Amino acid sequence: MTLFVLGLALILAGGVSPALVRRFGRAQRDTLHQILVVSGCAVSAFSAARVLVAGEQVSVAFRTTMPGGAWALTIDPLAAVFLLAVFSVGAMCALFGTQDLASEAAAHRGDVAHAAWFTQLAFAVLVAAIAVVVAAGSVIVFLGAWEVMAISSYVLIITHHEDGDVRRSGLIYLVATHAATLALFAMFATWQSGAADWSFAALAAASPTLGAGATTAVLGLALVGFGFKAGFVPLHFWLPPAHAAAPSHVSALMSGVVIKTGIYGLLRVLFLLGGAPAWWGWFVLGIGVASGVLGVLWALAQHDMKRLLAYHSVENIGIILMGIGVGVLGVAFHRPAIAMLGFSGALLHTVNHALFKSLLFLGAGAVYRATGTRMIDELGGVARRMPITWLAFVIGAAAIIGVPPLNGFVSEWLIYQGLFSSGQSRDAVRLALLGIPALALIGALALACFAKVAGVVFLGTPRSTQAAAASEVGRAVLAPMLALATACVVFGVIPILGIRLVSGPAGVLARAANTGIAPAVASGALAISALSVAVILSALALWWMRSALMRRGLTRHEVTWACGYDVTTPRMQYTASSFASPLLSMFGRLTSVRVDRSPTSLRTHPIDLVLDGVALPCWHVVHRAALRLRAIQHGRLHLYLLYVMAALLVMLGYLVVGTRR
Amino acid sequence: MIEIPSLSAVVAFALLVLGAPIVPGIASRTKSILTGRRGSPAWQLYADLWKLARRGIVYSTTVTWVFRLAPIALVATTLAAATLVPLDGRTSVLAFSGDVVAFAYLFGLGRFALVLAALDTGSSFEGMGASREVTFAALVEPGVFIGLATLGVVVHEFSLTAMLGASQPRPGFVAAGPSYVMVGLSLFALALAECSRIPVDDPTTHLELTMIHEVMVLDHSGPDLALILYSSSLKLAVFSVIITSVFVPGARTNVGSGLGVLLMSLVVVPVAIGVVESVMARLRLPKVPLYIAGGSALAMFGLILVLR
Repeated sequence: MTLFVLGLALILAGGVSPALVRRFGRAQRDTLHQILVVSGCAVSAFSAARVLVAGEQVSVAFRTTMPGGAWALTIDPLAAVFLLAVFSVGAMCALFGTQDLASEAAAHRGDVAHAAWFTQLAFAVLVAAIAVVVAAGSVIVFLGAWEVMAISSYVLIITHHEDGDVRRSGLIYLVATHAATLALFAMFATWQSGAADWSFAALAAASPTLGAGATTAVLGLALVGFGFKAGFVPLHFWLPPAHAAAPSHVSALMSGVVIKTGIYGLLRVLFLLGGAPAWWGWFVLGIGVASGVLGVLWALAQHDMKRLLAYHSVENIGIILMGIGVGVLGVAFHRPAIAMLGFSGALLHTVNHALFKSLLFLGAGAVYRATGTRMIDELGGVARRMPITWLAFVIGAAAIIGVPPLNGFVSEWLIYQGLFSSGQSRDAVRLALLGIPALALIGALALACFAKVAGVVFLGTPRSTQAAAASEVGRAVLAPMLALATACVVFGVIPILGIRLVSGPAGVLARAANTGIAPAVASGALAISALSVAVILSALALWWMRSALMRRGLTRHEVTWACGYDVTTPRMQYTASSFASPLLSMFGRLTSVRVDRSPTSLRTHPIDLVLDGVALPCWHVVHRAALRLRAIQHGRLHLYLLYVMAALLVMLGYLVVGTRR
Repeated sequence: MIEIPSLSAVVAFALLVLGAPIVPGIASRTKSILTGRRGSPAWQLYADLWKLARRGIVYSTTVTWVFRLAPIALVATTLAAATLVPLDGRTSVLAFSGDVVAFAYLFGLGRFALVLAALDTGSSFEGMGASREVTFAALVEPGVFIGLATLGVVVHEFSLTAMLGASQPRPGFVAAGPSYVMVGLSLFALALAECSRIPVDDPTTHLELTMIHEVMVLDHSGPDLALILYSSSLKLAVFSVIITSVFVPGARTNVGSGLGVLLMSLVVVPVAIGVVESVMARLRLPKVPLYIAGGSALAMFGLILVLR
């Protein structure tokens, strides 16, 4: 635990160092920041890993005289899994971000409105705050860190605040995150009314005495509060604009880790409550399916690379929720084996998604830095100009669509099995079987979407001069991407690593008597390793065979076949919009694409059904109503004092009437 | 732990690997007999593969390593998927709980590679083919999973060996009979779409605008094209075995009958495909989703019957 706190101190020191050490040049300050943040992440991650190996929780409490009891930090295996993801992704994003900001400053000298030291400080604070949210052992620490996390995210999102769109995205995020916090306050207040103090241990002790109504309220509020953060449908609407607006390494951290605190919160509530009723499991499973299908469908419609990736986060949160739903159902129907599969699938997908989604965001960021555009249809042919970035990106893309031999497959395999084993029982839980075709649809649509973004951005010929002028980013930027890509491959080829990582906390959540890995899962993991090795080896053998054949025949290089028509231009290539068009038209109005047609042009604008269809119209109604109140806000001080007096009189009257009763 | 595969499973795998190119040949032979043409011999694909393997390769000047990797990835993933199917009617080379998911997703990896290779050329035709391929695949995938989940519910295991292999009489098979028939028909319908056959795609078409699978491989030549043609035939052969295994009931207790069923499936299913291709034309593209949805709905009925 000392190590954990020491690591956080190092991270924060890394955050303030660029501001304090003014004497050094930019490069030295950046290096100092990177070293401190990465070493802090490593030290803290080590303490989390030790908890996971030992399987026992460690905690520390600071006694305070403030209301709300002691400030407790507790790392149990559930928290440790999330902490490992936070620190590994956090360190990689810090490495990438520092270099990225430096090259931005070099490219637009004097044109950059934000100060690098401030962004670096906010980033370090964000990483530390996420860690404290996950390690919090009492409500006060949790909510405090939650708010610090929310505000530092906001500061980072509006880094490029000179852009009006960025400010607007930041505002939407700010409203959403505070709505989440409000729900969490209500949730903890409802829960705590029967507990001794504000520590999580006391909440857990009070859970059995919680009435049915209060339990329902707690579970419902948890779904709203943590749902906003996790960003599942229909609470996702803040997520795509915010992730698109933030600098790339911040998007990577937010999509990879910050939204996972919502998942962590849900699991923590389940853990403290000791399970949830079946209806909640069905509800979560349903939201998971809706989020998964709609998320990937909306991603298909996007033109902006980072918005597209952000919608994929909505999709993957949906897959994780499907796992949680299966887990809750397994517990509710007293089938620990099913619950184990569901929870371990959900936890593993959380870790896997942290790895490949941050990788993809960093890859998109590298392309953005090299070309200056995020519009998919303005790019093309980048793979030849940025081969290493392409390699890392395509590994991330294959991982997110869940194909073997990469890590995304392992967690989806577990969730599939959870859905299937619930289908074998004789009670109502077997309806969860219907999640299988939904998950298959999500996977196939994700394949379509990543074929689109990888194929159109990186392959073919450049569609613009910026894309043609792209050149590979520096080694310091490539290193974190390659590290994350390697992790994706290792966890995919050796699935037992990831499964062992999450089996402990999954077993506790599943209330399984035997928290070990099921023999079927262990042998399946081994078989997946064998299968992965077989695919890789047979591909190598085939490659060698073909090289042998090619040595005999003649290999020529010609222009692409265009039916004998040889004056082709890059504009004749299939665009991303045309690529996605058949699928989008099939799903009709669900895809929410606005089409502007004129005799000579066709433009499609993806809109967000929830944001543009519900949230903003509702906001405008509230806004108009609030304008009516303007009449009482006129700046005359004496009348304001009168309001205060009136309010006091009303309260006094209430007290008098209230005490008499 | 992983079990050592039985000898008959390995023999069946070798038979499939060597015999796959005959499958599309039999389908087209059936078609030529039924339509009164002379047609090419059933072993035509062997000759084509031999010819292509000795040719040189033409690479487009725009392509990257993805284009070179795709044919290899296709063959490697299809081979790996074939190891999961109980080809001798009893056990597969590799079986584990949830291998169904690996089976489907290995094909996904191959498709991803091929689609990227198509986009790699920068050709509008190949982009169009890639777009259609992922569109129809997205619809086929849930249908295949519904069918396989139905079989899994009957045998209480989520593994192809348990679902399709039958070293002892299947418990509950008679009661689930109607579901088996529905799933078999549905898998046949979906396999036609998955393997790019009529009524979804026409492997013999000559116009780029009407193609799906063929247009994606326009720029592949020589050994690369041979690998792609071979992987298509292998995929068709694997689906033939699966479809036959669903339909052929009862125990295949000895090795001989198991291998017999394998050889039979490599003939019967392509003949059925040839018949379908002789009596039907290709559907218009907007109609294809309806066709696939119909196939999936059939499997869904099967699932509802076993879940009731």
